[in-house]
Amino acid sequence: MSDDAFPLRDLWMSDTPVDEKEVTSAVGHVLEKDRAARTRDRQVRLFGVLAVALLIPLLVWCAAYGVTPLVRGAYALMAVGCAVLIATEWVYLEWSRQALPGPADARSQLQKTAFMLARQIRLLKTAPLWSSPVFIGVGLIAVWLYQERTHTAAFALCAVALTAWIAAGLRASSTCAKLNDQRLEMEGLLNELQ
Amino acid sequence: MSVSALKCSSDWLGSQILAALLEVDSARDYLSVVKGETDYTRQFTRLMEAYSRPMRRLCAIYADRAADREDLFQDIFLAVWRALPAFRGDASVRTWLYRIAHNVALTWRARDRRQQFRERPLENELDAGAEMELRRLALKRAVATLPLGDRTLILLWLEGLSAAEIEEVTGVRAATVAVRLSRIRKALQPNEVMP
Repeated sequence: MSDDAFPLRDLWMSDTPVDEKEVTSAVGHVLEKDRAARTRDRQVRLFGVLAVALLIPLLVWCAAYGVTPLVRGAYALMAVGCAVLIATEWVYLEWSRQALPGPADARSQLQKTAFMLARQIRLLKTAPLWSSPVFIGVGLIAVWLYQERTHTAAFALCAVALTAWIAAGLRASSTCAKLNDQRLEMEGLLNELQ
Repeated sequence: MSVSALKCSSDWLGSQILAALLEVDSARDYLSVVKGETDYTRQFTRLMEAYSRPMRRLCAIYADRAADREDLFQDIFLAVWRALPAFRGDASVRTWLYRIAHNVALTWRARDRRQQFRERPLENELDAGAEMELRRLALKRAVATLPLGDRTLILLWLEGLSAAEIEEVTGVRAATVAVRLSRIRKALQPNEVMP
């Protein structure tokens, strides 16, 4: 390092010291933010656990004792679909957690985050596919309604299922685009760093 | 089985279930965080006291607006707080902390690309009078306009890290760091950063 470079360091570090009160309040804010994030995470996990514990057994029961084979098949598909949805959500959250910045060196961290983002993008791209059992199940219930009950109810249910399916697909696709931007940005940063 | 052994196994079982259900990093981390919370809080406060100033400087370079700087500052220390139970002292606290800080800052930049297109309102911070202050802000502005890779390296050097320590933080080889730093410093000589 050349000697004339050190005034730069002195100049850089000549800012005003941080107030002690400010540090105490910053500690409080960080711990509060951590608590809020953990509470939010817990709520998401508990929702998943409750769904596994309540919704899936209910759907399985309906699949076992449904009035016709069509209804039983529909509920079985919905049960499988719910299990797949919950499992996928856990996997997605786990990857998000693994992508969080930690104490690795910057290059390894950027590589890891870009890799995790690529995985999440692949998962989101196939969202309409792995969420399909739930919507197909609802569609089969609509078919049963069409055959055994009113046409209006069947069409309404079909419309709701289709709208929800399209909305889920669009949401996944928009999140996918956002994650892809982040991934490209990460790769750009990685190139800049090398 | 003794009462203490029973208590230990119930603690362990409870932590395993909680960790499995609530996705806490690991059961061991959960226990250590809960039981040693006051210790970690004390360590964390000490870290914050020691590194608030350099971290504020770092945030000022990565984020333009005051609100963003505050957000980034909190995100950095949030990541530090979460990583603290796993810190075993293999690396120096300083390089460990800078690694986390730069990872958070780089991720934050990648997440919010709009940052790159914002005006840099550093002029608003100028405190009339002090020449030193004017020069420091000019240096800050010059560093903030560097490409992100160069910015990371020069920031670490300005904070007093050696090329070897910068290698530990960024993963870029020390020899490459030295060459790049020499080039960056030439562009940032004191006469160049005069307003």
